Amino acid sequence: MKSYTDKIKEIAKRLLKEDKVDMVIGYRKGTVPLMHQPFFATSEGEVDSFVWDSNCGLNLANYITDRKERIGIVATGCNSRNIAVHVVEGKIQRDQLYIIGIPCQGMVDRHKLAAMAEGNIASVEEDEDKGTITISGQGFSKSVDKAEVLQENCSICVHRNPVLCDELVADEVTEQTREQADPYARVREIEAMSPDDKWAHFDDLLSDCIRCYACRNACPLCYCPQCFVDESNPQWVGKSVDPTDIRTFHLLRAYHCAGRCTDCGACVRSCPVGINVRDFTKKLEKDCLELYGWEAGLNTEQRPPLDTYKPEDPEDFIK
Amino acid sequence: MADKEPKILSFLCNWCSYGAADLAGVSRMEYPSNIRVIRIPCTGRMSPKFILAALRQGADAVWVSG
Amino acid sequence: MKNLLEHMGVEPERLHFSWISSAESTKFVDVATKVTESVKSLESKEKKFVKTKPKVA
Repeated sequence: MKSYTDKIKEIAKRLLKEDKVDMVIGYRKGTVPLMHQPFFATSEGEVDSFVWDSNCGLNLANYITDRKERIGIVATGCNSRNIAVHVVEGKIQRDQLYIIGIPCQGMVDRHKLAAMAEGNIASVEEDEDKGTITISGQGFSKSVDKAEVLQENCSICVHRNPVLCDELVADEVTEQTREQADPYARVREIEAMSPDDKWAHFDDLLSDCIRCYACRNACPLCYCPQCFVDESNPQWVGKSVDPTDIRTFHLLRAYHCAGRCTDCGACVRSCPVGINVRDFTKKLEKDCLELYGWEAGLNTEQRPPLDTYKPEDPEDFIK
Repeated sequence: MADKEPKILSFLCNWCSYGAADLAGVSRMEYPSNIRVIRIPCTGRMSPKFILAALRQGADAVWVSG
Repeated sequence: MKNLLEHMGVEPERLHFSWISSAESTKFVDVATKVTESVKSLESKEKKFVKTKPKVA
C-alpha cells in the first residue's frame, strides 16, 4: 500500500501546488489502530500525513456535501459511486472535484479483528506481498489472511475500481463478477425465513442498538438538514431505546437510502456495537436491481428509480 | 384479539379512491366497517412515515389507494 | 416499502396498495372487502411494530 500512499501524496502535492484545488480530502492515521481519520490538506506541507491501507473504511463522500471549494478527493469504487450520487442529487458540482481514484482491494473488518484479539489491539501491520494482517497488543500477536478478515461488503464487492475519476493511483484491479461474488446470498437467507423468524432475527440483530446514530452520521447519504428522528412535531419515532423505536429508525433510515446506497459499509464499520446494518440496506439494493435494473452511482446523468416514472415500472403490488 | 374487529387505516387519494368511496356511499353500497379513511390530497402525499406511524399506533393494517 | 416491511417480518397482508378511479365504486367495495378479509385471516397473530408504553414509568 506504500505505492498507493506515495502516489496519493504526489498527486495531492501537485494539485495544491498548481492551485487546481483548495483542499485535498484523504485519510491520515487515526489515534486508535484500525480507524483512519479523514484529513483535509490545504497546503503542500500537510500532504505528508496522508496514508492508504486497509483501514480506510470511512466514506469520504460524506465530507463534500454542499461544499463550495474546489476539492481533490481520494475515492475507491464505492466512494466514487457515492460521489456520483452526490452529483446527481445536486449536492456538489462535478467540476468542483478532482477525483483521485483508488483501485480498491478491500478494507479489513475491525469488528472481526477485535473479536480475534486477546485484548486491546495496539498496532496493526499489513504485509502486502503475503496478503496478511498482523495485529498485536499486550502479550499477544496474531497474523491472519487479509481475505479472511475483509469487510463483508468488500468481499462481495463488484465495483472495486472507481466509476468516476480524473486520475488513478495504480492500474485497475480485476473486478469480481456477480456470479463469483454472489452478493445477495445473505439477503436470500433472510428472505427464506417465515415472518415470525424474520421478526425474531431483526429483534436479535437490533437488541444491542444504543441509538447513537453513528450509522447515520457515517453515511454519505444521510445529509438531511433535519433527520426524521429529530423531528418533534409530529414525532415519527421516539427517542428511547424501545425496540419499536429502534426498529422504526433503522427501517426508515434504510428506506431513505433506497436506490442510493452503494453498500460502502461505512454504517457497519462505524457501529460501536457491531450491528450489521447492511441487513436492511442490502435488501433494498437487491430490490432496486431486480425491479428497476438499477445500481446506485454508476453515472452522473441518470435519475434514481424512486424519483422517476417509467411505463415499464413494476406495478404488480398494486391491486 | 379474536373478538376484536381489526382496524384498517386507509389512505385514499382525494381525486380517485376517495371519490370512489363517496360514490359507493351515495349508491348505498355496503363495505366492511373496519376501514378508517384518511383523505390525502394525492397519493403523492403518501410517505413511508405515515405507514409506520399507523402501525406503531396500533393499526392492524394499512391500505393505500390512489 | 412493502418489500422491506416484509423483509423485517411484517406479514404482507398488513399493507395493501390499490388503484381505483373515482367512478369505480364497485371496485372500491370489492377491494375494501378483500383487504378486510385478508387482514382478518391474520387476526390470531400478534400485531407487530406497535409502540407499547414502557413497562417502567
